[in-house]
Amino acid sequence: MNVLLAVLRKDLLIEWRSRDRLVAMLVFAVLVVVVLYFAAPPGQEETARAHVPGLLWVAWVFATVLGLGRSFALELENDALSALALAPADRGWIFLGKALANVILVTTVQALSAVAFALAFGLDLWPVAGRLACLAVLGAIGLCSLGTLFSAMAIRTSNREVMLPLLMLPLMVPVLLGAVRCTQQLVATGELPWSPLQLLLVTDGVFLIISFLGFEYVLDE
Amino acid sequence: MSMAPPPQSRWHTATAVVLAVSAVAWIWLVWNAPVDSRQGEIGKILFVHPPAALGAYLGFILTGVGGALYLWRDDERFDHLAAAAAEVGVLFAVVMLLSGPIWAKGTWGKWWSWDLRLTLTLLLFFVYVAYLLLRSFTEGSDRVARFAAIYGIAGVAVIPLNYFAIDLAAGRSIHPENLGGDSLGAGMGWPFAMGLVTATAAFAFLLVRRIELGWLRSERARREALAGARGAS
Amino acid sequence: MNAAAEPGATPAIEARGLTRRFGPVVALRPLDLAVASGTTLAVLGPNGAGKSTLLRLLSGLARPSGGTLHFDGVGADRVGRRQRIGLIGHATFLYPALTARENLALAARLWKVADPEERASQLLDEQDLQAAADRPVGGFSRGMAQRVAIARALVHDPEILLLDEPFTGLDPTAADRLAGRLAAARGRRTSLLVSHDLARAASLADAALVLVRGEARALPTGALGSAELLGEAYREAVSALGSEGRA
Repeated sequence: MNVLLAVLRKDLLIEWRSRDRLVAMLVFAVLVVVVLYFAAPPGQEETARAHVPGLLWVAWVFATVLGLGRSFALELENDALSALALAPADRGWIFLGKALANVILVTTVQALSAVAFALAFGLDLWPVAGRLACLAVLGAIGLCSLGTLFSAMAIRTSNREVMLPLLMLPLMVPVLLGAVRCTQQLVATGELPWSPLQLLLVTDGVFLIISFLGFEYVLDE
Repeated sequence: MSMAPPPQSRWHTATAVVLAVSAVAWIWLVWNAPVDSRQGEIGKILFVHPPAALGAYLGFILTGVGGALYLWRDDERFDHLAAAAAEVGVLFAVVMLLSGPIWAKGTWGKWWSWDLRLTLTLLLFFVYVAYLLLRSFTEGSDRVARFAAIYGIAGVAVIPLNYFAIDLAAGRSIHPENLGGDSLGAGMGWPFAMGLVTATAAFAFLLVRRIELGWLRSERARREALAGARGAS
Repeated sequence: MNAAAEPGATPAIEARGLTRRFGPVVALRPLDLAVASGTTLAVLGPNGAGKSTLLRLLSGLARPSGGTLHFDGVGADRVGRRQRIGLIGHATFLYPALTARENLALAARLWKVADPEERASQLLDEQDLQAAADRPVGGFSRGMAQRVAIARALVHDPEILLLDEPFTGLDPTAADRLAGRLAAARGRRTSLLVSHDLARAASLADAALVLVRGEARALPTGALGSAELLGEAYREAVSALGSEGRA
């Protein structure tokens, strides 16, 4: 637990010093939606609006992949990762510290970009803001659990920039599907549907367990 | 880690014989099977597509199981099993993904539908393509094995989650339901069953050959390294 | 090979048949090693001989491909082993964006030291780094960063210290101070010193081991009398191991 907090604190401190991941992810998320908006046929603002929850999640997924790529790159300078691997604790806690730092980073990007989109598309998200935030966090946990594990693997491959999205995206469907369905219904009706939420929760749980246990093997040489 | 020759060498003769016999029986049965009155000849893809799907899923599950056993027992032979199962599984998945659209074009009138079951199977195919890429982009044989094992396990864990997702969209799927005992027409049961047997035999044969190949490769690498260490100054 | 091990006493570090392969490449051939508690073993050898591999195996960073490892007679417990060991590695293990103080406080938290901030401050004093304590390590010279790296490895006052070329980049004063500390800890701390500096090795070690292409040979204890004697024994062992390898 101490190890978790120490790693979390360290990652947030390093991010706070430079803020480069946060800015890059945020700009990227906004750009993705802007580009997708121009890809839609003109004169169909109403249909486009119905697609906003889906667009938003697509943007968040891509921004997360971008940010996670850097998560372990900062550990490789001076081989600082070895010092973490040497710490006398179950390495799962190191994983949780790093994953939690990533969840916080991703959630910040989600919050800021959601505000931008609500304003740009004229959506009134305020009444559902609390539940939307919960969904964003649940989605971020799903993305960042296996994502953090794969990021630790991808930096040790010869093709790291290509490898991370290739590893992550096909496995993120249950997270994406659950989160998008929940968000669509929430925005449209103000109600949270139970079964997609269940899918999201179960997926988060499964992904967390696999990553927690798998991290030990990833750090070994 | 044992250096004994792999116990599979006897197996590949056995699986080859079973494969040859069942393939002949299967082709004969399919040839003589009744033609579906609504679908016509193209309905006979029924005897190819589900067996290919069986091989694909068998491969993916064995990849995960082999990976888990490797992490647990730290025995390189389980890694050869996982790698072989992934490659053979991808091969069967290609047959499945090619035969499906041919049937769909004849029956639904279009090559592909963004049906959830189709889409998720396609994504699962990409999981194992990514698995093979991960193997080829990672250096150091035990690191490859460990990374691949974790990814293979994650891939298997996602299969039930994907089925949960299909459930969620129940009613929207146009893919035929998995066949029950009575959904096959008269005279179609035998060729269908023989298809499954043949696919299993083909899967076993290819798997065994691929495991042998993996074992021979690592054996050669070991011998070369030994010779290199002696020869270098 | 026994490094001044008293008969009957459990060695602090004991390896049997320790091997490491990277795929087909053998980095370390089956190695037997025993380091008695409180003594220092010098590990010498040309570049690429497997010295760093040995340290990474002992520290638990790398998994052995074969063989067993015991610390004070205790085997498998990986977490407990990491608690005992300090490693000064080839790289500094420091985060360039964090200050020296933050880097050390982080290490103190990871090793569950009671008062991390206090411990960091104390280590900065010892390494004479207070003036630079609150500057990011990224701007440090190699020698200054190395001093922080040394402090980092000592954060939990480890029973066993593994040192990989610890004198790299240090100015003569800092190098002498490190040597003084290592000498003072003799008898109390078990150390394994990888170095190309034969004079330092001769003065600090109780026993020496030469590694060539993954193969090890112990040097006679008498060779540690002076740098000249050690150099002679070292060259002899290297050429013997080299010709054996070719046969």
